[in-house]
Amino acid sequence: MSAATILLWVSAVLGAASLALLLAFWKRGATVRAGGIVLGAVGLGLFLGRLGGLHDVMGAFWFYALAVVTVVSAVATITMRKPVYSAIWFGMTLLGVAGLLLFQGAQFLAVATIVVYAGAILVTFLFVLILAQPEGRAAYDRKCNQPFLSAVVGAALVVMLSTGIGGMILDLDLDSGEPETGPSVECLCAGEETAHVARLGTELFTRHLVTVEVAGVMLFIAMVGATAISESGKKRVKIKRETKS
Amino acid sequence: MNPSVELLFHYQLVGALLFGIGVVGFLSRRNQIVLFLSVEMMLQGAAVSLVGWGRYHQDWGGQVLILVSITIAACEAAVGLALILMLEHRRGSLDLALWCRLHEDDLPDAAPDPSEEDLAPPEIDWPRLPTAGLLPETPPEDEYRDHV
Repeated sequence: MSAATILLWVSAVLGAASLALLLAFWKRGATVRAGGIVLGAVGLGLFLGRLGGLHDVMGAFWFYALAVVTVVSAVATITMRKPVYSAIWFGMTLLGVAGLLLFQGAQFLAVATIVVYAGAILVTFLFVLILAQPEGRAAYDRKCNQPFLSAVVGAALVVMLSTGIGGMILDLDLDSGEPETGPSVECLCAGEETAHVARLGTELFTRHLVTVEVAGVMLFIAMVGATAISESGKKRVKIKRETKS
Repeated sequence: MNPSVELLFHYQLVGALLFGIGVVGFLSRRNQIVLFLSVEMMLQGAAVSLVGWGRYHQDWGGQVLILVSITIAACEAAVGLALILMLEHRRGSLDLALWCRLHEDDLPDAAPDPSEEDLAPPEIDWPRLPTAGLLPETPPEDEYRDHV
């Protein structure tokens, strides 16, 4: 077993322990939570530290800042007790992901993520929370379903994904021979990327035209389905009330 | 390591982390809305991974796939939130454990119903004020008053 593999396993175990602590002992208060946070920070540091720096120093700084923001707010999303806080932390995750997409030169997708996800989907979530949340603290928000087992499953999944895909990528690296300068990190300010959205649009409406049509049809079906579900549900509740009275 | 491969590797690892965190949230939380947020987070992990591959291969396919996944997320949110609202109307709670009995009434439970464990009312941490000063003297006829 190489050092990198051992490091990966150690960071996975630390991450699983931190998630389990954060999820399982909500009632125990600040010390356990602080322990979970410290363990998680060490685990994340090991996990990202294994990567090493990028060639571009500024690029590496931005990448690590965005990655840490994304992952930390993702953890906060699933460990917050109140669902409203979860939703708001998820908005933070979305901002981090949008930054990561922008970093890869996907400007349109970054904006679309913020507009569609944070602007529309997240607000819909908040509306449903307002409609559905009965009162302050619900019992089901104070107790988790098998936190240890699910943390172990998540950590195992991360290890499998990163060794599998990582091995594949390392093979790619061996195949490609001499280092080519190809797509680099400075895509944020590259001059040729100015027509990015135009090129994406051209690609989308020529080669992937059927995809666009299918996506439109799917949105339409989902709209009709959502309306039908809420309408028929209302009818059923009404019938129930009538039979009761 | 080749710079493009290096960036690809970084993105795959961040995508894997996001996906894994989403899985943990999906498996462990009981609030249906937080469950939904976890699913969206898994989609985000896939998006990060896809944009890395698209950049590496200098191909627009990755970004088009992310657009499709955003569309799917919107559809999923519409249908799923309508379903969650209906479920909430029927049981009056967002708890997932209320829906773990999907079998017929005359069949035994496969697992104990977790919703029965915490029917006790939530304990609330009221702020506690320290007692200070002297106890005020009250005349005995003031001890009990049935009206103010």
